[in-house]
Amino acid sequence: MKILIIEDERSLSESIAAYLSSQDYYCDIAEDFATAKYKTEYNDYDCILLDITLPGGNGLKILEQLKDDKKTDAVLIISAKNSLDDKIKGLNLGADDYLSKPFHLSELNARIAAIIRRKKFDGNSILQFNNITIDTQSKTVMVENNPVELTKKEYELLIYFVLNKKRIISKEAIAEHLWGNDMAGSFDFIYTHIKNLRKKLMDAGDADYIKSVYGMGYKFTVQ
Amino acid sequence: MKLLAKYNRVNIPITIITLLITVIGFYFIIHFFLVHQIDKDLRIEQQEIIHYIKEKNSLPEASNYKDQEIQFHLTQDDTFRPEFSTEDRYNHKANETESFRKLEFLIKVNGNYYITEVKKSEQETEDIIQLILIITFSVIVFLLLVLFIANRFLLTKLWEPFNHTLAQLNQFNLSSKNTIELQKTNINEFRELNKTALFMTEKVRKDYAALKNFTENASHEIQTPLSIIKNKIELLLQSENLDKNQINAIQSLNDAASRLSKLNQSLLLLAKIENHQFENAEKINLSLVLNECLENFEELASIKNISIEKNIADNIFIQINDSLAEILISNIIWNAIKHNYQNGTIAIELAQDSLLVSNTGDEPNENTESFFERFKKESSSSDSIGLGLSIVKTICDTYKFVVSYNYKETMHIVKILFH
Repeated sequence: MKILIIEDERSLSESIAAYLSSQDYYCDIAEDFATAKYKTEYNDYDCILLDITLPGGNGLKILEQLKDDKKTDAVLIISAKNSLDDKIKGLNLGADDYLSKPFHLSELNARIAAIIRRKKFDGNSILQFNNITIDTQSKTVMVENNPVELTKKEYELLIYFVLNKKRIISKEAIAEHLWGNDMAGSFDFIYTHIKNLRKKLMDAGDADYIKSVYGMGYKFTVQ
Repeated sequence: MKLLAKYNRVNIPITIITLLITVIGFYFIIHFFLVHQIDKDLRIEQQEIIHYIKEKNSLPEASNYKDQEIQFHLTQDDTFRPEFSTEDRYNHKANETESFRKLEFLIKVNGNYYITEVKKSEQETEDIIQLILIITFSVIVFLLLVLFIANRFLLTKLWEPFNHTLAQLNQFNLSSKNTIELQKTNINEFRELNKTALFMTEKVRKDYAALKNFTENASHEIQTPLSIIKNKIELLLQSENLDKNQINAIQSLNDAASRLSKLNQSLLLLAKIENHQFENAEKINLSLVLNECLENFEELASIKNISIEKNIADNIFIQINDSLAEILISNIIWNAIKHNYQNGTIAIELAQDSLLVSNTGDEPNENTESFFERFKKESSSSDSIGLGLSIVKTICDTYKFVVSYNYKETMHIVKILFH
């Protein structure tokens, strides 16, 4: 999968590229408007991460051009402006999602995966992790052909883990993913959710993949 | 106390006392001069009598007229000096006391000494004084009355620009864009006041706007470096073979960065609400928003085994921006869950013009009135940043909803009146 990161802040684009590369994406970076315009015109990407404030032009122009060229690249806007206008404009111009800075890399990764799944597979996709099979269409989870009954949040949590497999995910990232940005201080809830999810997966087929990493968060991994 | 009342309280007694003193002084002065006049008449009479005696060498006849009496008394005392005196006499006919002015002097007729008494009634003088006093009193009372009424109307009229300015200042709203409108006046003091009021409100508004813009810009500018910090920490988390010290350090960094990030987002949200960046209010079905929010938090509540009592009327529409409606509702519900305890309860009541959310929870140990202020937390240990209720308040203020907090019978009650 090819991703273009259009972002003028080099530290940021490097971090994003580092995280996404570990999730088996191929990452390309454009740091200014002209480069971004050139790259989007001559290459096809599975997903474009687009910062709106760019040196040399407004990122929304790139969106317009993609639309004019009838390109189907998925676009995720990442903006520091967090402005409602930009969000609405961006989504109206055909962007697939909007993420405001600062964001967790794990959240960005999950969003990209969701967009690509929606765009490429019409949302009709099976996520597989070892003996766990998740049907994102019917929202059912099987462990070795045993159905697992998950609550809505447990299901979201499992998807998040699978999409960010083998990476340590901080508790803040999980809290924000499950309940949104404003809900601070809900770590005791996360602990309960994870405990329940782990127990259900274990009961269904000895799928013990959630590892608590001392002091830092959780990791979804085979060993 | 009103200025007019205060003014009257000082002015009226002073006026009355001054006028009374004047009247009394007036009485004595007039009295003095009138008596002096009578005395002069009496002296003329004296001269006439002396003149008569010199010519005729006999006593004139004693006389007794209505207002003048002359009497002679034989005396041995030849050292008697002339003297004036006043004498009261009861007049049976008129049934009143009459005052007489009396001059006594010594005359010698044919070697005999007589004390001559010449008396003149003061009745006329008294009458004149009485009349003058009555007129003066009437004038004073009339004057006071006129002054009082005139002051009342005049002062009310005079103070009108002031009262108008005051009302405008009262209505002055920092965050609204309208300038205050002041009445034109030709009174210098009020013109000065209006000028100052206008200048100050404009300055305050400009400063406030600048401050808010600064907050918003600063928050924006902070977001990019904050993103870098957070993302680098997240990458750092993935490193293999970290020792315990490094993990602790990363965790601390992460906590601090997260708090900073939430703080920044909340401040930015507050600044945006106050900068009217959520202008596009529309009719929002609050019942739907509330139910969706409850669904989202359902599992959170069930983890604490909190029972939720719902009494939500269908299709309650209010005029509000949709994002703000969600933020408002989720902040209130989240608060009710977060500050609840195991096996607690939450009661939610949505009616046509009010939303009532009450939840069990520990008794607040500080002044509950400050709960809506920024950075007020219920406990210092919680990792909340204390902006949740402040955001609720700011949103409510924006739409002129009335929000209140109460602690009653072990329940925390947040109430919003929409109208």
